[in-house]
Amino acid sequence: MKSRKLTAILAVMAMTAGLTACGSQAAAPQSAAGSDTGATEAGGVEITVTTTFAGEDTNAKNYKDAVAAWEQETGNKVSDTSATSDETFKTRVITDFETGSEPDVLFFFNGADANDFVNAGKVVSIEDIRAEFPEYASNMNDDLIAASPADGVKYAVPVNGFWEAMFVNTKVLEEAGVSMPGADYTWDQFLADCGKIKDAGYTPIAAALGNIPHYWWEFCIFNQQSPKDHLNIPESAGDAVGEQWVKGLEDIKDLYEKGFFPDNTLSATDDETFAMFTDDKAAFLLDGSWKVGGIVGACQSDPDDPSTLDAEKVGHFDVTYFPGKGDRKATDLVGGLSMGYYITQKAWEDPDRKDAAVSFVEYMTSDEVVPKFAQHTASALKNAPKTDESEFNALQVKAMNMMSGVTSLTGAVQDLFNGDCRVPTFDGMPDIVEGNVAAADAVQEGIDIYQDTLE
Amino acid sequence: MSNIYKSKKYILLFLLPAFLFLIIYLYYPFFVNIYSSFRSIRTLGTYGKKWNDPWFENYVKLAADPVVWISLKNTLLMIIATILGQVGIALILALLVDNVSRGTQFFRTVFFFPIVISATALGLLFNLIFLYDKGMLNQFLELFGKTELTDWKSEAYALTTMMIPVVWQYVGFYFVILETGLNNISEELYEAAAIDGATRFQRVWYISVPLLRNVICTCLTLGVTGALKVFDLPWTMFPKGMPLKMTFLTGTYMYYQTMEAKNVDYGATLAILIVVLGVVLSRLTRMVFKESEDL
Repeated sequence: MKSRKLTAILAVMAMTAGLTACGSQAAAPQSAAGSDTGATEAGGVEITVTTTFAGEDTNAKNYKDAVAAWEQETGNKVSDTSATSDETFKTRVITDFETGSEPDVLFFFNGADANDFVNAGKVVSIEDIRAEFPEYASNMNDDLIAASPADGVKYAVPVNGFWEAMFVNTKVLEEAGVSMPGADYTWDQFLADCGKIKDAGYTPIAAALGNIPHYWWEFCIFNQQSPKDHLNIPESAGDAVGEQWVKGLEDIKDLYEKGFFPDNTLSATDDETFAMFTDDKAAFLLDGSWKVGGIVGACQSDPDDPSTLDAEKVGHFDVTYFPGKGDRKATDLVGGLSMGYYITQKAWEDPDRKDAAVSFVEYMTSDEVVPKFAQHTASALKNAPKTDESEFNALQVKAMNMMSGVTSLTGAVQDLFNGDCRVPTFDGMPDIVEGNVAAADAVQEGIDIYQDTLE
Repeated sequence: MSNIYKSKKYILLFLLPAFLFLIIYLYYPFFVNIYSSFRSIRTLGTYGKKWNDPWFENYVKLAADPVVWISLKNTLLMIIATILGQVGIALILALLVDNVSRGTQFFRTVFFFPIVISATALGLLFNLIFLYDKGMLNQFLELFGKTELTDWKSEAYALTTMMIPVVWQYVGFYFVILETGLNNISEELYEAAAIDGATRFQRVWYISVPLLRNVICTCLTLGVTGALKVFDLPWTMFPKGMPLKMTFLTGTYMYYQTMEAKNVDYGATLAILIVVLGVVLSRLTRMVFKESEDL
C-alpha cells in the first residue's frame, strides 16, 4: 500500500518535473536571444548584438566584415540580430528591453527613442564603463558624443554620423527634360519639376507613405521652420510650432493630391518604391546617408561584391539638397551623430560577457574601423584620418561634394518626439493625405501622447 | 489494497500540475489583462502609473473606434471565407479524390503541403506574387495584353488579396480530415446504390455527403475558431492594416495597438473583445453545427 502511494507521489513529481523541463525548454530560445548563453567552445564568449547595419544599409557589409574580424581576433562569437532601421526595429528593441530579452550590445538611437530603457537603468553609461576600462572610447571627442535626453548622461559611443538628403535619378530627369537641382533649389521649382516628370510618364517621388513617411515628415516640417527652431516640440497643434507641423503635413498632402507619389504609395513597402527609383521609374528619393550603399548595391550584379559594380548605371544617380522654403535654405540639412553603441546592464553584470562586450564596442569604434563606416558622413574621432577619394565609388564622391556645400546640420525632431507620439502622424499619414483625418487633429493626438509620457 | 483506485485524492493529485499550469499561464494573465484594460499603460511589462479617466475609457473608445468595427467586419468575412473557401473547397477536392482510383496519396500530399510551410514564408511568397511592379500576377496579366499595372494591395483588392493565401493554406488540412471521413464510409453502400442504378453524382449527394455530416461539422467548428486566430500571414502581407487600416483583423489590430502604437491598455481591451468574441462564436458554432448522434 505504502509503496503504491509512494509510486503515485513519485509519478506526480515526475510529471511536475517534466512540465518544468518543458518550461525551461520553451524558454531556451528566448534566453539564447536574450543572451543568456554562456561561454562557447575554446573559451570564447558569445554575445548578442543588434544594429541597424542590415539590408540596404551602406555599412551592412562593413559590419559583417568587422564582426568576422573581431571574432577571429578574440575567439568570441557574435549572435547578430541586426535589422533595417525602421519603426518595427525600434519597437522590437524597446520590447526586448521591456521583456528582459535585450541584447548585450546594441547600436541604437541616442535620442528619445532610447528614453525607456535609459530611464529603466538597463544600459551602462560611458562614465561607468571608463571607471573600469579607462581606455573605453578614449579615441572619441567627448563633446561630439550626445547625451541622453532622458537624464543628460552619455551612454552611446557613436560611429558614423548621418545626413538626410534627396537622391536623384538623373536618367529620369534627363528624359523628363528637368535639370539637376542645386544648392538654391526652391519648393516652387521642385513642384514644377515634379509636374514635368509626371507629364513625361515617370513617378516624381519614390516614397511609401504607408510604410516610411519619416523623411518627408521631417523635411516638410523643417521647411516651415529654420535650423534654429526645428527641434522645438509644440505644446498644441494650435501654437506657432504646432501650426508649422500642420502646414508641413499639408504640404505632403498637396504632393499626394497632385499625384507626385507612386500610385501604390499607400500600400507599397519602402523596398518596392526604392526599386522603382533604382529601376529608372522614379526621379527623387528622400532618404539618409545609409541609402548610398543600397543604391550602389542595386547597381551591382552581386550586391555583396563591389567588383561587379555597373559604373554606367551608378552614374545615373546623384544626391542633392531637399528644396528649401521660407527660412530654411536647401543646404540646411538634417543630420548629426544620432546613433551609437550601448552596452546593456545585463551584459555588464556577467563578467565574461562584460569583457567581450567592451572589447566588441572598442573594436567597432576604433580609429581603424570607424572611417570605414563613416565614409562620406561625419564621425566623432579625435584623430580622423584623411579620406582618400579614390577609395570611394562615384555616388559616395557625389555625396561628399554635396556635403561640402551644407550650411547647417540639424538633428531630427522626430528623434525627440517619442516613438508612440509619432504614431498618429506616421501610421496615420495615409489617412491624412487621403483627407480622412485632419492634419491638425493628428498632430494634436501625437502631442497629447507626448505630454502624457512626460507626466 | 484496492483503496488506491477508489480514492479520489490521487486523481486530484494527478490533475494538479496541469491545473497549476493553466492557472499560471492562462487564468492569471487573463485576469491581469482585464485589470490592465482599466489602467493607462504605455510600457509593456508594467501596470502603468495611473487609472484611466474614467476607468472604463477604453471600453467607450472600443465602441467608437471605427477600426474596431472594420476589424470585426474583416474577421467575420474571414470566417465566411473559411467556411466557404477552406471547408467548401476541401470537401469538393475530397469528393473528387475519393472518386479516382489511382493517385490518392499523391493528391493528399500535394494538397496538404502548404500546411507545413510557415505562414510568414507564405506571406512573403504571396507578397511577390501580388507585387505591384514585376509581381508574378501582373507579369502574367501583361502576357494577355494588359497594359496597366494593378495594385493588388489597394483598397479595392486588399481584402481578397489577404484572404486568398489564408484560404489556400488550410484547404489541405480540411481535405485530409474529410478524405479520412470518406474512407470510413462502407464500400457496400456505394455498391448497393450502383446496383439500384444511382449515378455517381447521386451516390455522392445521397450517401457521401450525409454520412460526412459529423466530419463536416467538426471541420466547420475548427474553421470558425481557427479564423479568429489568423494572424501571421495577414500581418506579413499587410502590416499595420495597410492600406488605410482597412485590412486589420481583431488579432492584428490588438497586436498593432500593443506592440506598434504602444497603447498597451487599449490592446488589453481588444484582447478581451477577442476572448468574448471567441466564446460567443464557439458556442454559436456548436449550436449551429451540432453533430448528429444517428450517424
